[in-house]
Amino acid sequence: MMPVLWTKGGEGMPEDRLRRSMLLDYYGELLTPRQRECYELHYNDDLSLSEIAEQCGISRQGAWDNIRRAGEALEEMEEKTGLIRRLSETERHLRHLRHLLKEMKACTAGSRNLDALLQEAEQEVAGLLKTSDGDETDGI
Amino acid sequence: MVKIRLRRVGAKKAPFYRIVVADSRSPRDGRFIEELGTYNPAADSEKLKVDLERVQYWIANGAQPTDTVRGLIKKVEA
Repeated sequence: MMPVLWTKGGEGMPEDRLRRSMLLDYYGELLTPRQRECYELHYNDDLSLSEIAEQCGISRQGAWDNIRRAGEALEEMEEKTGLIRRLSETERHLRHLRHLLKEMKACTAGSRNLDALLQEAEQEVAGLLKTSDGDETDGI
Repeated sequence: MVKIRLRRVGAKKAPFYRIVVADSRSPRDGRFIEELGTYNPAADSEKLKVDLERVQYWIANGAQPTDTVRGLIKKVEA
């Protein structure tokens, strides 16, 4: 399951770290092995630059360069493909849809508002299909 | 030296974190001395749980929290 939270900003903890973790999960294969290792040690294992430098046999500056370049590459990938943003949007719709269906189930006893709920559920699905088609809703 | 770190566990694309006390010489082998808390971003409530008493105990005994963990502790105390 993917965390609902997907926001930029929130620099510092812990949202920033979560974001970085997700970026690594999705696009990590595109980094060089060294970049990937340094980034992972820093953000997943919470190692300091000097600890990473020691572990990888490089300088502290070298460790930081790898982490920074990895971060830039990952952010660029998300900016270009928007994969995580779209997936979390899809998940948001699905959650709402599930909620609506639950309410419908509860309604069928009286079946008063069923029409309105069905219509909303239909719109949810429409939104979902639009998202998965890859439409750029924010007009880049 | 003994450190208090935030360590990621959990499946791919579903991060989950533990705050652990671990020896600084074995940062990656997964072993840790004690778990002091968790951060679960997917949780509906209580995403962050920290045993502040044990944190204080370990710090009093010379354990070094990372900047990340220090930030988390402040967040819980606030």
